Amino acid sequence: MGRGAATQIRIGVVQEMSLITTLIAALVFPGLSFILTYSLYAQWIKRKAAARLQNRIGPLHTGWQGILQPLADFIKLLVKEDITPAEANKPVFNAAPLFIFALPLAATFLIPIQSITNLWAWDAVASFEGDLIMVLFLMSITVLAIFLAGWSSGNLFGAVGATRVAFMMLAYEIPLGLVAIGPAILARSLSISRIVDWQVASFNAFLTAPNIWGIVTAMVLFIGAVIYTVCLLAELEMKPFDMSEAETEIVHGWQVEYSGKKLALLNVGHDVKMVLAAALLTSLFLGGPAGPVLPPVVWFIVKTTFCVFIISNLSVLFARFRIDQLISGAWRYLVPLAVLQVMAVVAISGVI
Amino acid sequence: MAMERELLSSLFKKPATLKYPFEKLEPPKGLRGKHEYDGDKCIGCALCARVCPSFAITLKGGPGPKCTGLTVDLGKCLFCQQCEEVCPRDAIWLTTAYELAVLKKEDGILNFDRTPPPPPTPAKKEG
Amino acid sequence: MSDRQFVIPIGPQHPALKEPTSFYFTVDGEVVVDVEPRIGYNHRGIEKAMEVRNYIQNLYITERVCGICSNAHQTAYTGAVEEAGGIEIPERAKYIRVLFHELERIHSHLLWVGVAAHEIGFDTMFYYVWRDRELVMDLLEEISGNRVNYAIPTVGGVRRDISKDNFPRWHKVLDALAERTNYYIKVASTEQTILDRAIGVGYLSKEDMIRLSGVGPNARCSGVPCDTRKTAPYLLYDEIPFEHIYVDNGDVLGQVLVRVLETLEAVKICKWVLDNIPEGEIAVKFNPMQKLPEGEAVYIVEAQRGELIHYTISDGRNMPYRHKIRAPTLGNIPSLVERLKGGYIADIPITLAGIDPCFSCTDRMVFYDEGKDRSWVWDEEQLRRYGLEWYKK
Repeated sequence: MGRGAATQIRIGVVQEMSLITTLIAALVFPGLSFILTYSLYAQWIKRKAAARLQNRIGPLHTGWQGILQPLADFIKLLVKEDITPAEANKPVFNAAPLFIFALPLAATFLIPIQSITNLWAWDAVASFEGDLIMVLFLMSITVLAIFLAGWSSGNLFGAVGATRVAFMMLAYEIPLGLVAIGPAILARSLSISRIVDWQVASFNAFLTAPNIWGIVTAMVLFIGAVIYTVCLLAELEMKPFDMSEAETEIVHGWQVEYSGKKLALLNVGHDVKMVLAAALLTSLFLGGPAGPVLPPVVWFIVKTTFCVFIISNLSVLFARFRIDQLISGAWRYLVPLAVLQVMAVVAISGVI
Repeated sequence: MAMERELLSSLFKKPATLKYPFEKLEPPKGLRGKHEYDGDKCIGCALCARVCPSFAITLKGGPGPKCTGLTVDLGKCLFCQQCEEVCPRDAIWLTTAYELAVLKKEDGILNFDRTPPPPPTPAKKEG
Repeated sequence: MSDRQFVIPIGPQHPALKEPTSFYFTVDGEVVVDVEPRIGYNHRGIEKAMEVRNYIQNLYITERVCGICSNAHQTAYTGAVEEAGGIEIPERAKYIRVLFHELERIHSHLLWVGVAAHEIGFDTMFYYVWRDRELVMDLLEEISGNRVNYAIPTVGGVRRDISKDNFPRWHKVLDALAERTNYYIKVASTEQTILDRAIGVGYLSKEDMIRLSGVGPNARCSGVPCDTRKTAPYLLYDEIPFEHIYVDNGDVLGQVLVRVLETLEAVKICKWVLDNIPEGEIAVKFNPMQKLPEGEAVYIVEAQRGELIHYTISDGRNMPYRHKIRAPTLGNIPSLVERLKGGYIADIPITLAGIDPCFSCTDRMVFYDEGKDRSWVWDEEQLRRYGLEWYKK
């Protein structure tokens, strides 16, 4: 299995066929429609997993075991009244949810899921050297959009939530970037698709000729994956790092003044971010959509479901930290650990 | 991390949620629910109305032997059971029926009837 | 107030508050500088309503002062009325009253542990604690007929009897409750995220607590031994063997420790009552229309939140002339204000929840003019007129 052809930029190539193929890939599968449907499914997984861990049932009656519940909630929010506060900065207030929804969606186009021309190959909608940096950049810009959303809402609680989101970015951004670079160093490439290819190639090589360096690499990358998961929890604003929308303190934080269609966009945007986070975790550390026998999209779904389950489990296990505890904890523990991990990866990459 | 073992073991246990109204709990015997009334035992003494903290019981037709029944306003009732305790003839008591939601306030007023006994004198009176 | 400071209103509607109250926090960044509390949103005119009903009807009015301290209010009310009227209750009634007093304490403290977990964002523990609270609620429903507002004490004794056949099953329920409480103690003391949010938060020293006259577990967590059941025993508390729980942490962790240890003590007291209850009558006959002799009485009980005072004046009729209730949370508000100052915004909910506020109990109305050091009350007519004029404005 592998990516059939070239590694150069694939959008906007001259031939007519690839334009249509690219459009279908971007709009239907594995692009817009697939990611939107999949994000609703991911929300269902998160709710069911959290419920079962808490000895409850979760969604039940809408569809089989409540699988249509996220769609029902989305439609319900679309028909509710959309109120813009008089004190809000209206252009920014109205535009921010669009960015929060669109930017993570654009980032998912860069992750290899499934090729639409070849059933057994995987392919991103667009891939080029450096798309890992593009994904991290898009995630950071989303945080800026969140800050603007809270700041422009004209509400005191919104402003407090927005400042907390900005502080949180100070805490998790650096470890996140550092450990994401680890697999890139080992794969000698900054393209996510190439990183996946490298993981598959080295795993196949390990199976044919097991050696100690393979195990050492796996252990170092495992530590990187743990740090990455912790930083992802902070980025997704899930417990124990949901202080930016702490319900009991600041009544929903930066989202407090959003209602109706804008809130529906925000919720779907949150789910798309969760899919992006799970997909990144899968692609960087779990081997992406690669797997025996079945088409890559199936393996992608299996692996990201597993990641969403792990994230939900961690989310219901802890109480909520305070913002100063997050910042001091991140700089005291996460950043040194991430730096050590990257140094270990560089050392290994010099050897193998 | 302290609750992780409990969380993982909950994955394999039955959820604590009761799927009401498809599954219902058996109410305990002494539950204070809807009222029941026996017109034959009632003597119209109106002690239940006088002792009700929220004035939910009114006697129809006035107190005494000519009383024609009771109305109990479940919207005002506290389900304190004081009416059952104070009744000298056990004519009103509380059952275990607890599903008492109604759509209109008027439906929440229980109407109990009693045929007053025939008067002792031979003079004609309304029955 | 400098340029950087601004005022955040918490309440009257806020997810951190279970009952309507208003607090105006002056904050500087994330640090709370000043607090101004405003209470009175839950004033319902209960003391006035009690003056026009007879003593048996008033049982159920006192019960509804608060949903979760309802039995404590009834115990205090019946104690005050019986003392004013010189009525002696049978021994078995005293045991049953103690049983309910302690069962309600278990119920309330478990509820508090869940709510405190929710305030720091630990919803999982919230759900689990409330699931286990169902054990004690089912027990209470079985004995008394209702899950809250049990209406068990009456003037002269208690209304329902308990049967010895059920005791072995109830012992098992109490043992299960003690085991789950021990599990939650273990979780609260080993879970790092809880300890990070609880240690050092809302600290108040013992001297400050005595100066600000806190009551109940709020005071006992700062080291003040003020449990009324030990310092001024009522009902059977001078005979029952139990510990006086107080710790000297002074912060939210102390609040948690005091309340869960009190829950374990309450389980022990309930088991002692079930083992030692004598046979006998459960009530002395008290006619609802009976007139109470003239007199007045003060009765103090240790409710779940502290010292609860009921004061009744009888003028010879079958309705009280005046009945005054002083709820424990009213006494805890000055110490609450001190705890909040100097903390972060993120600590506000847990500090508020830490004193176990019950603002439904709290709202009585008294005017106090600080300048002239004079206090007075209004009667109903003045209140109605003031209300009508206020809305016209």
